[in-house]
Amino acid sequence: MCRLIIKKMLQTFITLFFATFVIFLLVRLAPGDPVNIMLSRTGEIAMSDSQAYDHKLAELRAQHGLDQNIAEQYVTWVRHLLQFDLGSSIHTGRPVQAEMAERLSATCLLGIAALLIQSVLGLFFGTLSALRAGKLIDHIVRLTCIVLASTPAFVLGLALLSFVAVRLGVYEISSEASWSRLWLPALTLGLIGAPQLIRVVRASLLTELGQTYVLSGFARGLSNQLVVRHALRNILLPVATMVALSFAGLISGAVVIESIFSWPGVGKHALDSILLKDYPVIQGYALIMVALVTGINLLIDALYVLIDPRVRLKPRVRRELRA
Amino acid sequence: MHRRKATFSLIAGCVLLGLIVVSVFGASMLAPHDPVKQSTLERLEKPSLEHPLGTDRFGRDILSRTLHGGQNTLISSFIALIATIVIGLLVGIVAGMYHGSLLDTILMRLVDVLLSFPFMVLAMVIAALFGTSLFHLLAVIVSVCWVTFARLSRSIVLQAKTETSFAAAKVLGASDLTIMRKELLPRTIGPVLILATFELGSLILSIAALSFLGLGSQPPTPEWGSMLADGRDHFFQFPHILLGPTLFIFITVAAFNLIGEGLRNQLDPYEKIEL
Repeated sequence: MCRLIIKKMLQTFITLFFATFVIFLLVRLAPGDPVNIMLSRTGEIAMSDSQAYDHKLAELRAQHGLDQNIAEQYVTWVRHLLQFDLGSSIHTGRPVQAEMAERLSATCLLGIAALLIQSVLGLFFGTLSALRAGKLIDHIVRLTCIVLASTPAFVLGLALLSFVAVRLGVYEISSEASWSRLWLPALTLGLIGAPQLIRVVRASLLTELGQTYVLSGFARGLSNQLVVRHALRNILLPVATMVALSFAGLISGAVVIESIFSWPGVGKHALDSILLKDYPVIQGYALIMVALVTGINLLIDALYVLIDPRVRLKPRVRRELRA
Repeated sequence: MHRRKATFSLIAGCVLLGLIVVSVFGASMLAPHDPVKQSTLERLEKPSLEHPLGTDRFGRDILSRTLHGGQNTLISSFIALIATIVIGLLVGIVAGMYHGSLLDTILMRLVDVLLSFPFMVLAMVIAALFGTSLFHLLAVIVSVCWVTFARLSRSIVLQAKTETSFAAAKVLGASDLTIMRKELLPRTIGPVLILATFELGSLILSIAALSFLGLGSQPPTPEWGSMLADGRDHFFQFPHILLGPTLFIFITVAAFNLIGEGLRNQLDPYEKIEL
C-alpha cells in the first residue's frame, strides 16, 4: 500500500519536473527579450545614448542571470523554485509568490464550492436518471445535459449575471471576494461541470445495477434503497476519477468565470498580466496551476487506496496468479 | 427502446449540423447584408425585420456577420481537429506498439504532463509570450487535445495486441510498420471517430471561450469568437449583440454532441465505452 503511494508520488515529481522544463522552454523560445520588456516598462527605452542603454542592458542581464548559458539558467531557476521564489512581477515589482498567495484563496474558495455543487448535482441527477432509465425523467435529464454541455461557459455566466444582478438586483456587483458574492460564480462553474459527471454516474450505475449481486440483493428481499446504496459505493471509484480529471477543466473554466464576475482570483490576475506582458506572473501562475492539478491527482490516487480495498490488493492478487 | 433513442439523437444532430453547414457555407447567397459594411446611422439596433439579429457597434448586420464568420470558425476548428487526431493516433499507436519501452514511457509521461496542464493556462502562457492570434490559439488547442486521442488509441492497441490476428501477423513476418498500418490503425478508427465528434464540439467551445477573453483572432475578421470579444463590452446595455454567434455556437456544439451520443449508443447500446 505504501509502495503504491510512493510510486505515485515519484510519478508526480517527474510530471512536475517535466512541467518546469516545458514552461522554461516556452519562456526562452518567446520572441521578446525579457530585459527589453523590463526596460520598456520603466521608460528608459527612450534613452538616446545607445552606449549607456547597452550598458544598462548588459547590467540587467547579468543581474537576472541571463548571461549564463541555458542549462545554468535552468538550474538556477529550478533552485529558486524549490525555495518558493517565483521571481518578481515586471509591472509591480513585487514577488510573484506573494501576489499569487493573496489571490489563491479566492480561487480555491470558488473551485471547492463549484466542485461541491458539481458533485451534488452529478450524483443526484445521475442516480435519478439511471434509476428511471428510459422514462421521462431520464430523457429530461439527458436533454438538459446536452443543452448545458453545449452552452458556452461565458454565455451562461453573463446570462445568470444579467438576470440575477440586473433584473432581480439581488447580486452585488463589485470586485471583492465575499461569501455573499460566492454563490453565483460557483453555481455557474458547477453547472458547467455537472453534465459530464451526470453522464458518468448514470453510465457506471447502469452497469453496476446489471451485476448479479444486485439481482441477488433484490431476490433476498432487500429494499430498493439498500441495494442502490451498495451499488453507489461501488461506483465511487470511477466518479472520483472523473472529479479529479474535471479539475483541470475547472481551472480553465475558472479563468472565464473569474473574469466575468470580476472575482479576484489568480486566473483573473494572470489574464490581466497578459496585456502587460508580465511574463514572470504568467509563468508563476502556470506553475502553481500545474502543481495544484498534479497535487489533486496524487491526493485522489491516495484516496483510491482508502476507498477501494481492491486497488490495495491488486499487486498481491496478481503475484498469486502468476505463481 | 435504446435503438430508437439512438437514431433520434443521431438524426436530430445530423439535421442541425446540416442546417448550420448549409447556412454558413451558403452565406454569400443567404446573408441579407454585406458582413463588413458599416452604417453609422444604424449602430447597436435591436433585432428587426431589416436586421433579424440586430446590428453591432459599427452598424454591421449581425446575422450576415455570423453566417460569414462561421466559415472561418468551422474550417479552423476542423483543421485543428484533424491535426489533433493525426498526432494523437500516431503517438498512441506507436506507444502501444512498443509498450513497455523507453519510448512508451517518455510519451506517456508527456501525456501526463499535458493532462495536468489546463488548456486555458497554456493558452495564456502562449498569448503572453508569443502574442494573440487565431493560429497560436489553434496551436495551443492541438498541443493539448491530442492527448485524449493518444490515450484512447494506445489502450485499443494494447487490447488488440493480445488477439491472435496480431500474433499471426508477427509470425508471418510482417514488419512493425505494416502491423501498425494494417492491423492496429483500422481498429482505432471507430472509437476515435466517436471521440472526435465530442471533441469537435468542445473544441469549438474552447475556441469561443479563449476568443471571448481576447486570446483568439482579433476583431476585424468576422469569426464567432472575435464577434463575442467585440460585443462583450456592450452586453449589459444591448444583450442582443451576443445572441447571433452564441446561438450558432450552441446549435453547432449541440449537433456534434447529439451525433456523438447517437453514435455511441448505436455502437454499444448497453455498455459504456471508455472514452
